[in-house]
Amino acid sequence: METETGNDVTVQKTGTTTVGLVTAEGVVLAADRRASLGGRFVSNKQAVKIEQIHPTAAVTLSGSVGAGQAFIRQLRSTANLYEARRGEPMNMDALARTAGRLLRGTRSMPVLGGVDEEGPRVFQIDPAGGVLEDTYTASGSGTQLATGALERLYEEDLSLAEGASVATQAVESAIERDTASGNGITVARITSEDVMIDIDSTSEEVH
Amino acid sequence: MRGQDDRQAYDRGTSLFSPDGRLYQVEYAREAVKRGGASVGIRATDGVVLVAERRIRSSLLEARSIEKLHKIDEHNGVASAGHVADARQLVEEARQTAQIEQLSYDQPITPEQLTGDVSEHVQEYTQAGHTRPFGAALLVGGYVEGTPQLFETDPSGTSYEWQATAIGGNSDEIEEELESEYDPEISLDAASSLAVSVLTEEEEDDPETVAVAVIDDDGYRTLDREAIEDLL
Repeated sequence: METETGNDVTVQKTGTTTVGLVTAEGVVLAADRRASLGGRFVSNKQAVKIEQIHPTAAVTLSGSVGAGQAFIRQLRSTANLYEARRGEPMNMDALARTAGRLLRGTRSMPVLGGVDEEGPRVFQIDPAGGVLEDTYTASGSGTQLATGALERLYEEDLSLAEGASVATQAVESAIERDTASGNGITVARITSEDVMIDIDSTSEEVH
Repeated sequence: MRGQDDRQAYDRGTSLFSPDGRLYQVEYAREAVKRGGASVGIRATDGVVLVAERRIRSSLLEARSIEKLHKIDEHNGVASAGHVADARQLVEEARQTAQIEQLSYDQPITPEQLTGDVSEHVQEYTQAGHTRPFGAALLVGGYVEGTPQLFETDPSGTSYEWQATAIGGNSDEIEEELESEYDPEISLDAASSLAVSVLTEEEEDDPETVAVAVIDDDGYRTLDREAIEDLL
């Protein structure tokens, strides 16, 4: 996580390393648990940066904590209204388009992951509203470290358990060297059935 | 002015009282609700059931397009009676209100608050100029934090809380039946059977003629054809 100084006010940032990847059985999202101020002070050691926003989708938080939380609330509300109005949940394309629209002009850069009729899908959303689908991606201050690990470890057709292991290792790699990431790992496993978020995943499955 | 003339003078606008203190347009809107099929709501110990009558006027009509049960959010549902188009506007209002409550206060809206907010909206249309009252009534059923609740709002914007009730055509007879059959300790399953039985004729056994929704600890859901057949 980093801190950010705008208008002479320092706001909490996630600093953060978050990753998302597609497996044969679903999507895995993982994130560290550190929030920081100005990148030099750990302001929170138990931040949970993955939230469910839909019956079979979740997002990671990275960048400004406030912007990320506001984004999540809006996205969840939109998904709920969509389902109440139409009697079926949003598909991932609709959810990604909405996420991009809501993010424009904010200071948040989440990873969106979920499962719809097309299967497991992962999207990188940027603060300008850019929406790019990928099979594996990372965001936050530890992006480069996590991406290096993902390039080496990611394979197509991983099982959900193998995917969780790869995602956890990628975040752990970043935690080792990125001062704004740390304090444990949250892992989410998303299938066509539901979203399971393990808030404080031990790294047993890593090694 | 006397007789027929008397009435005509005071039912031109919704915001006009008659000399004996009546709002004719609101009363006519209540009559409009009674012209349609009935909807029934029953509060059980572990949830709420909403059942709506479907009048299928042609064998070519797709029964599922008759919309009288509406999911509002995870915890609340609505059964409507009267003008379907008017009811849809109220349902949309309710859905937005439910999401605003969650966004503003990080808590699910209760059926009581939801009915109150919708009722305020309905009342505005009985007092503002250039509008007519809503020709629809709603039953709002919900299950929030372990508490089942059932409310009604009518075209005047008045809300009531009920243990069990009916709106729409034939609702007086159905209510009488509910008064004699209702037990405050009734389970959701038994309430579902009771609600379907008071709404259907004796020999009726076509599951297409009713729609059933239940709201309990697992949230709002509609029953499929097979589950309704079991209730019949």
